[in-house]
Amino acid sequence: MARHTNVDPRTNGDDVTENESTSRTRSRGSDSEDAPLSGEDLVLEYPSSDEPVVDGETLVAEPGAVTALVGPNGSGKSTLLKGLADQLEPEAGSVLVDGQSIRSLDRKKLARKLGLLSQESTSPDSITVEDLVYHGRYPHRGFFESVTDEDEQAVERAIEQAGCGHLRDREVGSLSGGQKQLAWIAMVLAQETDVLLLDEPTTFLDLHHQLEVMEIIETLRDQSDITVVVVLHDLQQAARLADRVIALKDGEIRARGTPADVVTEELLAAVFEIDAEVELTPRGPRIEPLRARHDDETKGDGEAPNHPEGVEAE
Amino acid sequence: MASKSVTETVATTRRDRWLGWFDGSMFTLIVGSLAVIVGGALVQVSFGAFSMTILEAWQAVFNPNVLFSLQAWDAFLFGGELPEMNKRSLIVWNIRLPRVFVAALVGMNLAVSGAIFQAVTRNELASPFILGVSSGAGLMILLTLVVFSGLSAFLPLIAAVGGALAFLIVYAIAWKNGTSPVRLVLAGVIVGTVFGSLQTALFFFADDIGVVQSAIAWTTGSLTGTDWEQVRMALPWTAVAMLLALLSSRQLNVLLLGESTAKSLGMSVEKVRFALSGVAVLAAAASIAVAGIVGFVGLIVPHMVRNIVGSDYRKLVIGCMFAGPALMVGADVGARLGMSVLTGADSQIPVGIVTGLVGGPYFLYLMRKQDKMGEI
Repeated sequence: MARHTNVDPRTNGDDVTENESTSRTRSRGSDSEDAPLSGEDLVLEYPSSDEPVVDGETLVAEPGAVTALVGPNGSGKSTLLKGLADQLEPEAGSVLVDGQSIRSLDRKKLARKLGLLSQESTSPDSITVEDLVYHGRYPHRGFFESVTDEDEQAVERAIEQAGCGHLRDREVGSLSGGQKQLAWIAMVLAQETDVLLLDEPTTFLDLHHQLEVMEIIETLRDQSDITVVVVLHDLQQAARLADRVIALKDGEIRARGTPADVVTEELLAAVFEIDAEVELTPRGPRIEPLRARHDDETKGDGEAPNHPEGVEAE
Repeated sequence: MASKSVTETVATTRRDRWLGWFDGSMFTLIVGSLAVIVGGALVQVSFGAFSMTILEAWQAVFNPNVLFSLQAWDAFLFGGELPEMNKRSLIVWNIRLPRVFVAALVGMNLAVSGAIFQAVTRNELASPFILGVSSGAGLMILLTLVVFSGLSAFLPLIAAVGGALAFLIVYAIAWKNGTSPVRLVLAGVIVGTVFGSLQTALFFFADDIGVVQSAIAWTTGSLTGTDWEQVRMALPWTAVAMLLALLSSRQLNVLLLGESTAKSLGMSVEKVRFALSGVAVLAAAASIAVAGIVGFVGLIVPHMVRNIVGSDYRKLVIGCMFAGPALMVGADVGARLGMSVLTGADSQIPVGIVTGLVGGPYFLYLMRKQDKMGEI
């Protein structure tokens, strides 16, 4: 089988990126206490399985920036996000929000700091978009409290930011997938958190709505100091959108850094098992996927790109 | 100017929300339900073994000597001494009307209880009895009637406690680092099956046809012979349960968004789920204590109401508080007078049979008519 000449799989590009970024993480290690969100030595597993999906990873979300988690299917990126969002209790390690362990925070207090948009959200069909967005105010309201001015302003802002004002009175059941996603985004925005976690917000959307969602995230970054961690299925989107990219494979963080550092041909070969051309453009690295690499080839190329043990643990 | 218009829209949306639950469909539902309740009550007070004309019956209902008599209400609600009144008033106020009130309370409790369980389990087939309540109550009823017949004076209480205990057993079985709707429903089905078998087995030990009939009346639900004592028994618990249900409507709405969303919005899902189930069991137990296990009302009323007002629990709970009594009062007309109309025999059938006979076909009709029937 012909191998693309641009890519030399023997070059362990992963190694380089990871070494560099681990040292960077280390040097920033001290400010993980006041970082808006960080996870330390997280071991995450589902109750149904014995093997941890993520086995002892540390990451710090850069304050006021967009951090993208990327990786192939089953790489543990959504699991990692669930761990950070307190949807999955870590077997070991801890998640810190503003330097405080999320275990020590009251649920509602946490929900005022940390918002999550899950991959698949369900709601009754007959609820209106506005009512859905009002649910985002749940953590700000007491059990008996009615809607306050503050709630209304937050809802107005969220609806405007998510650009779904024209959908306000529509029933969620009557919306298209993309419109639904905008409504859900408005709901998490109404939560007014410092940190926003988004699990594949663009997957299954048409191009228009993909771009719309990305623009919302860009505006959030530019106009507020909200910290965003987003799982993206589409590496190209991550390269364009994110300030920092974290690449996972088999539950391990294989690279982290700026898009230009991380999204390289070597990484694509090692993590995504594809041959691709990467071109640096003003809008970040542009990826042109060429073909899938197969297991036997990778084996022939040596174990190194696939199993960079020792890379993390130097 | 722009800011002015913004504040104006904010003000109107606020006002809309304040009365947000009250709209055309809600109005129709409430008026329709009230019409059925009043119509049913009219029939119930007018007909029976002691016959009087409709006019006489209503004169008795609006007899000012009863209606505005503190002593009479004291007798009704707190069990004090009954004042002097004429025979018609006595029959209407002391025998026929309380039965209508009990029916209304039972319908209210069952409908709201079912609505809560449908949200808690996120299952459109949920009813007040899904988490083992009916089987626990049924088993205790049979045990009391057949084995511990000395305790039959406490039967209402024992039945309600049995239902609540079964619910706790179901919850304990379903609990493993938290619960999930599916685990709860499965545990409920399993406990229900086991208790149901025991209950059926106990029938074999009943040596008296009277005991069997009494057991059947309790396990299918009956309002025969209910009077103010049952009203006194159910009213406080109903009031508490309804108030809590109204206050929890926002929690129920958030639960409908799914566990993960509810959790990320800061809800302590397990606590809220248990507390809401507790409210629903309280309502179901209150109705079991006075009427036995009336099936079907708790399943179909929330669906009927949802069909009309949508799945917003702020509206749904209020709707159930009107539609539940309507179905129950209407069905009890059939249970009390149906046999004498059909066969001329002066006997009554358990109201649970009528709710099934009326509710079932209506439910099927709704299902055939709506594509989206059953979606929460």
